[in-house]
Amino acid sequence: MSTQDAALDLAEAAPVRWRRYGVLIGRVLLIALLLVLWKVGADIAGPLYAADPIKVFQRTVADVQSGTLLRHIYVTLRLSLIGFALACVAGVVLPFVLRRMPRLTAAVEPYIMASVGIPKYALIPLFILYFGIDDAPKLWLIGLLVFYPIFIAVFAGIRNVDRRLINMARVVGAGEFVIAREVIWNSLLPFFFAALKIALPRAISAAIIGEFLVGNEGLGFLIENSRQNFDTVGVFEGIAVATALVLVINALLVALDRRVNAWRPVERHMQL
Amino acid sequence: MNAPLLEVRDLAKRFVGRAGRDQPLWVIKDLTFSVADGEFLTIIGPSGAGKTTLLNMIAQIDVANGGEVIFQSQPAPISDPKALDPGLHCRIGYVTQEDNLLPWRTTLQNVLFPLEVQGRLNDETRKHADMLIRAVGLAGFENHYPHELSGGMRKRASLIRTLVYDPPVILMDEPFGALDAQTRTQLQEDLLRLWNLGRKTIVFVTHDIAEAIALGDRTLVLSRAPAKIAGEHVITIPRPRDIRGIMMHPDFAELYQRIRAQVQ
Repeated sequence: MSTQDAALDLAEAAPVRWRRYGVLIGRVLLIALLLVLWKVGADIAGPLYAADPIKVFQRTVADVQSGTLLRHIYVTLRLSLIGFALACVAGVVLPFVLRRMPRLTAAVEPYIMASVGIPKYALIPLFILYFGIDDAPKLWLIGLLVFYPIFIAVFAGIRNVDRRLINMARVVGAGEFVIAREVIWNSLLPFFFAALKIALPRAISAAIIGEFLVGNEGLGFLIENSRQNFDTVGVFEGIAVATALVLVINALLVALDRRVNAWRPVERHMQL
Repeated sequence: MNAPLLEVRDLAKRFVGRAGRDQPLWVIKDLTFSVADGEFLTIIGPSGAGKTTLLNMIAQIDVANGGEVIFQSQPAPISDPKALDPGLHCRIGYVTQEDNLLPWRTTLQNVLFPLEVQGRLNDETRKHADMLIRAVGLAGFENHYPHELSGGMRKRASLIRTLVYDPPVILMDEPFGALDAQTRTQLQEDLLRLWNLGRKTIVFVTHDIAEAIALGDRTLVLSRAPAKIAGEHVITIPRPRDIRGIMMHPDFAELYQRIRAQVQ
């Protein structure tokens, strides 16, 4: 049986590798094409509306060398990760607590689900009113934007756990804590990672929006301050760096997902 | 003879009608039998006779609506959903119809899972697990995930996951039901071989008459719902048995006919 599988793997290996190279080449070409389009578009639109990619690159290098850009990145990243971590813990722990209280869950569930619909960005003025202009209002915004996708995924994940696995674990002597940690947590890991892929980029977006409004540091400040000074190159620099930041975080997340969820029978070419 | 290891007395189970309109349905009513220490009891019944429900109640996964389950002369808290004690402190093992392996654990990790949660993982129990893995032909597949195993291999893994912690009673719910005939015979042989090593008490539910005869010391026949004992047969075929040639044994045909007449 397994030797047959192994034989199939070998037979498929060569074409798969070539296909992978083909995809890689295609991706590089696509990036080159996009950069060319950016350059052409910038030349047509003029320097006020679109910055020349070469100038953006030069500015980025200069700002990295002077250290100001790294400071902006650090400020935004720090804020995003603190807000993310707090909301993530709440979004994971709360469903596990609710699991033990089915009646309370039934009572509050419609309200929780309705509160998903509140446009979180609309609450920013309130946050500023309540929490001042330090990090606190930004953390609240990031926290709320991260909390919901995580909470909903974990909540749904807990509901979807195979009862039979839980029963099996009970019969062999597992207590509630072991069941939560071993059976439920592992069952919902794929849900959790799907939520992380939504929540982490959101955390960065939320931090940037917060920085548009209050504070004088961070990528959001860099973008908005550049705009106010008619410095389009600075605006594009901020956007490009923020995008790169999200892409790096996503790549780390995908790598972690592969490691943690290696047991899943996923078709490799289906992975995004 | 001593008191039986496991006794089921007047056990009853009711399923509430859909949307409260239908009459409640009694799947099991007044079911009484007992199992002696070291006995291999097979229970046979038509599908829908409540066989799985019966085992779920004995394993304390499901509540009963009447009657008693007495284990080692102690009545189990079987009617109160809050007091249910699944597996009665690891004394009742349960090999379910589906293998219920944890998909994120490898074969070895799955087999060690009960020892791990019971805090009994040590060199000795690891060796025992290793022996069982080799005994059922899973050597070389210790680090495979369940989805990388065949149906028969998963069954073997789920079987030894229960054997590894050595519960005094093991319930088995048509464990070989979904397998092809060849694998099935192989697993029946493996099971009898393992049983011969330890002589556990086994309650084995099946809908296959030949399987019930081939494996059991005694066979109970369940009636259609509400399930009761429709017949009891002592399997006189001596052990060790040759599963592949069991149908050739002179007693087989007569037992088969008698049981068949009672299974509706």
